[in-house]
Amino acid sequence: MDGQLKTGTFLTSESSNKYKVISLLGAGGQGEVYDVECDGKHYALKWYFKHMATKAQKEILDNLITKGAPDASFLWPQDLIFKGYGESFGYIMPLRPKNFKSIVDMMKRRAEPSFQTLCKAAYNLTNGYQKLHSRGYSYRDISFGNMFFDPDTGDVLICDNDNVSANGIDNSSVYGTPRFMAPEIVMGQAKPSRNTDLYSLAVLLFYMFMMGHPLEGKLESEIKCMDIHAMNKLYGKNPIFIYDPNDKSNRPVKGYQDNVIIFWELYPQVIRDLFTKSFTVGLTAPNKRVTEKEWLEAFANLLSGTMLCSRCGAEVFFDAQKHDNGVAQTCWNCKSVVPMPATLIVGKSRVLLQKDAKLYAHHIYGNFDMNTVVGSVVQNPTNPNLWGIRNESTENWTYIKPDGIQIPVAIGKSAAIVKDVRIDFGQMTGEFK
Amino acid sequence: MAEALKRPGGELASRPLHFFWVVDCSGSMYGEKIGTVNHAIQSTIPEMVDAAKDNPNAQLLVRTLKFSTGATWVTPSPVNIEDFAWDDLDAGGVTDLGKAFEMLAAQLTIPPMTDRALPPVIVLLSDGQPTDDYKKSLDKLLHLPWGKKAVRIAISIGQDADDDVLQQFTGNRELVLQANNPQALVKMIKWASTAASLVSAPASRPKDMDVVPAGNNTPSATNAPLVLDMNNIPDPGAVGANDVW
Repeated sequence: MDGQLKTGTFLTSESSNKYKVISLLGAGGQGEVYDVECDGKHYALKWYFKHMATKAQKEILDNLITKGAPDASFLWPQDLIFKGYGESFGYIMPLRPKNFKSIVDMMKRRAEPSFQTLCKAAYNLTNGYQKLHSRGYSYRDISFGNMFFDPDTGDVLICDNDNVSANGIDNSSVYGTPRFMAPEIVMGQAKPSRNTDLYSLAVLLFYMFMMGHPLEGKLESEIKCMDIHAMNKLYGKNPIFIYDPNDKSNRPVKGYQDNVIIFWELYPQVIRDLFTKSFTVGLTAPNKRVTEKEWLEAFANLLSGTMLCSRCGAEVFFDAQKHDNGVAQTCWNCKSVVPMPATLIVGKSRVLLQKDAKLYAHHIYGNFDMNTVVGSVVQNPTNPNLWGIRNESTENWTYIKPDGIQIPVAIGKSAAIVKDVRIDFGQMTGEFK
Repeated sequence: MAEALKRPGGELASRPLHFFWVVDCSGSMYGEKIGTVNHAIQSTIPEMVDAAKDNPNAQLLVRTLKFSTGATWVTPSPVNIEDFAWDDLDAGGVTDLGKAFEMLAAQLTIPPMTDRALPPVIVLLSDGQPTDDYKKSLDKLLHLPWGKKAVRIAISIGQDADDDVLQQFTGNRELVLQANNPQALVKMIKWASTAASLVSAPASRPKDMDVVPAGNNTPSATNAPLVLDMNNIPDPGAVGANDVW
């Protein structure tokens, strides 16, 4: 494939780095992406087509480079190669490692994460957009193409950040991708914003969890020619959620939309509720869409609420609503009852206390940090039937027995898991159930 | 405990996208012209395969129809792009474009066409005047539901091509791409091959497309692959937003 830049060309950046063009990696609607090298390190260079190399684009990039990435999960612009207006220009960003796969790979089952890894990827993705939005930006084009994940760890990389700009400022050249665009954009009534990002994020999450589209049910199955007119109707003019509790006219059809039928029932009610809110209320009320924090709280509970079916090995999600209603947790694969492990409830978090389970900073501080381990489920060395939580945080905990007696749990010490015992973690108190 | 079981379900559901190469193999194409066409289309196949791999919404099926004295399906039935190989075409004979339209129409009728699909893409390459009565069969093609909905692109090779006829086929002057030299021909073929991805999963729509006429954006005007804004492609039957079937 021939690109605009020849292999071996040297380009000098605004910060005086010299980049050597190694190879063309790909091309899209706005420009081409190259593998470039500087001081023995490889980077990606996005090189715009001339008609896309606009002053507005340059200003967006200048701002993004000055401000820096919200966190390490963004392949953020870090250097600019610019000679003058009227000529093509480009920006440097980190190169995506090969072990990261696209969501298209997931959709085509070429990347096969476990449920646990899927939840982790969804958590990390949502957390990334949460950070981006908290800086006052909107992303404008959340879709299949701009997120990559590691199918083994759930780490994510968000790319194509060159359309990111301050929410409400219409200086980017992008309106979004069909099937992901919020109905009000499809209808030409709104421009991309933080609230339309929340819609696109919900669509992407729905694809990841359900392997289908939230608006593609009976109405989609009846469309013969899926052209722009059909898409405008389905995703813009007349969008109906396939599991709208008050409108059953667009339920998924067996034979056409099998995946959503398989997956919908498999997740806990809280996940179904969030998707239902996203695609009922959220279709017409952009400011009532599910926020990142609502998703993150739900995903954190999914991450700490998966059990392995001892009979068939399937990952089964603990459903708090079933539990509260006295309904048994059953395996979606072999239908056998999965016995409930002990749980720790802290604030909005619920952690299943099984072998190797971890307590994360988010659980005891509510800070959405699901990477820092603050505790582990361990076996008592002298009595393997006795399980406890080891304090791996940086603060001492207090063990509070039902009779009120308090015992300190110093860092490195473990507290036995006993029903109705509470642990004061400092900021929050948890209770064994 | 047992090893975790794979997540259930299958691939994301996709729709078939029928892509037709329709190539003029009349005597005037003899020599370098057909040589360039053969080489250019063959070279785009790996790129079409790559694009299809990244496209979760479409199952790309390709076919070739050649016409000269009469018309023949080089690929009689639709072939998955991954399995498609280009067979070199020879030139000789007259330009029975009407016959080609007739055979296209037969394939775009339900059945053999399925009733659920993405809009088909027809890429017609021609360098001359039709020698048969093409009007009746073109009319028939354009009145078929799938013929009407097809994205029809013509590549006009050299000075002698009849652009008016090609425009009757595409329904739009902008989609009659001019290829007056081998470089332009290669570029147009490459661009036309990308129409498949654009039809099924239209790329992020640059907002400038709303105001910039498509002509400023054709490959001849810029180095960029043309951003085919599907909103800008007029339907010959004046299709409105309600015309969803």
